[in-house]
Amino acid sequence: MARERPFEVREFQPPKGLGRMIGIGLVALVALFLILGSFYQVEPEEVGVVLRLGVYTGDTAGPGLHYKIPFVDRVYKVPIQRQLTEELGFRTPGLPVRLEVARQDPKDESSMLTGDLNAATVEWVVQYRIVDPYKYLFRVRNVELTFRDMGEAVMREVVGDRTVNEVITVGRQEITQVAFQKLQELCDHYETGIQVDQVVLQDVTPPEPVKPAFNAVNQAEQEREKLINEAQSEYNQVVPRARGEAEQTVLAAEGYALERVNRARGEAARFSSVYEEYRKAPEVTRRRIYLETLGAILPKTGRKVVVDDAVRGLLPLLNLDAGRAAPPVRPAPPEGGGP
Amino acid sequence: MKGTVLVVLALILALLVLSSVFVVDEGQQAIKTRFGEPIGAPITEPGLKWKVPLVDRLYVLEKRFLEWDGRVTNMQTREKQPILVDTYARWRILDPLLFFQRLRTEVQAQARLDGILNGEVRDAVARYDLAELIRTSDREPVQDAVLDSADKLEEIAHGREVIRQEILKNASQRVRQADLGIELLDVQFKRINYVDAVRDSVYQRMIAERNRIADRFRSEGQAEAARIRGTKERELQSIQSEAFRLAQEIIGKADAEATEIYARAYDQSADSRAFYAFLKSMETYGETFDAETWLVLSTSGEFYRYLNGAR
Repeated sequence: MARERPFEVREFQPPKGLGRMIGIGLVALVALFLILGSFYQVEPEEVGVVLRLGVYTGDTAGPGLHYKIPFVDRVYKVPIQRQLTEELGFRTPGLPVRLEVARQDPKDESSMLTGDLNAATVEWVVQYRIVDPYKYLFRVRNVELTFRDMGEAVMREVVGDRTVNEVITVGRQEITQVAFQKLQELCDHYETGIQVDQVVLQDVTPPEPVKPAFNAVNQAEQEREKLINEAQSEYNQVVPRARGEAEQTVLAAEGYALERVNRARGEAARFSSVYEEYRKAPEVTRRRIYLETLGAILPKTGRKVVVDDAVRGLLPLLNLDAGRAAPPVRPAPPEGGGP
Repeated sequence: MKGTVLVVLALILALLVLSSVFVVDEGQQAIKTRFGEPIGAPITEPGLKWKVPLVDRLYVLEKRFLEWDGRVTNMQTREKQPILVDTYARWRILDPLLFFQRLRTEVQAQARLDGILNGEVRDAVARYDLAELIRTSDREPVQDAVLDSADKLEEIAHGREVIRQEILKNASQRVRQADLGIELLDVQFKRINYVDAVRDSVYQRMIAERNRIADRFRSEGQAEAARIRGTKERELQSIQSEAFRLAQEIIGKADAEATEIYARAYDQSADSRAFYAFLKSMETYGETFDAETWLVLSTSGEFYRYLNGAR
């Protein structure tokens, strides 16, 4: 087998000059790589940290195209202008996360104990910026994960010092402030090169099984307001009206009083005047008034019976009410009396 | 032929140079070993370093703070309350030579830290009540005005921060004593939670507490409504009776005045009294007689006496 080979090799020998071409090609390739490796681009929000033979020169490169020495300089790009966020206790769907974060159950992050030994579910966001790229790169390994750990520890410390009511309602503002301060202190202590911008509480709720009971409290509160409002409106409907009616009663009484006194005055005056004249001729005035009165009333009265004192026994014969009380078709009542 | 030899020689030279040069980056440190034995001072500064090719080997180590993440562990507090504790720590290689001799790799270091930190945390947890581990200070809680709450936080003697510092101190001491060439920066409680069985009873307690608040709201509402209704009744009674009293007073006064006026007019003399009686009677006849009235009159009376003749 080995003997046959030389024939074949000789047959397929490549044309002269190919080796040279390959050599040129290789050199060109190397040159291309060198050129490509000599330039790097820094995006507008980034800064390039250059290590020359492993040493940080103190130089950082701003946005744009820059030159570096191939194999000697190494560039780390750090987005110092960008506001970075970490979501703790929840994940916004569709937002990219690191594998280590994706593996964590957000529920583990969010469930915590409050100072009165109750449980609460806290979701929050930390916004931060990288202010010292050198520290960020070379002082702490896995800064982002460290930062998340710090965030959790700090939030639990703060929540653990407050009642469940404070955590869920009244203390939210204060919690973000205290957490912000403590987180910044811890960042400085760990030399992360991170500046915390803001800690923002998202959903802070009681644990799922307890939620209905919390809602029931809100409902009861509204019920209380409703009961009070109803009673109040009832009061408002009735009492002012009663005031008005009371005023009416008093005014009516005043009216009566006026009328009564005026009448009295009038009648008294009239009497006095008449009496004055009467005194001048009592006998004839008396008679006149009597006769006038009779004259006025006699036409109004239904029946007039004039009895002579000399005629006796007339009255028993009179069936006094006969014509009026008994209708013609009905038999007269047995005693002849009225209804 | 000569050219080929030259090229090969150059290549070998280049290889030698390259394998005797190495770069230690920022955030790294290194140990040089010769036949497995460390030689020279540890390299703690970054830069271009030299070694003897083929003979010397290089172990690059981290200079940065490294993570230690504890497992979630079931522990018991002083009051025998089982809880789940998750801690983390940060540490770094302080003495690379010592580290290399004692531990050699980070994995080894993590294992040693597991032993030390888990033990210290467990000891500390067992020494304190749960409230001490959760709370940090004896601050006064802010009350919820809507709930009209009167929340109290149990008084604590030490608190989370003190315990944490204690753990850090003890663990640091043990790390130092073990001479591992490493240093602890910090230990933190990442998570403390109830175990499942306890959690349910805590939920029940929370539910009961909320129900209590809800009940209070309802009864407060009823009480307040009843109070308003009562006030309404009282107001009504007071308004109406006051009006009645006033009206009666006014009426009474008017009646009295009228009576006085009448009396003054009618009661001038015996004569005036008689005349009044006469006049009033006449007036009353006029007002009370109507078509229903039967009038039986005697001819001996004043009016008809003339029927029998004008005497």
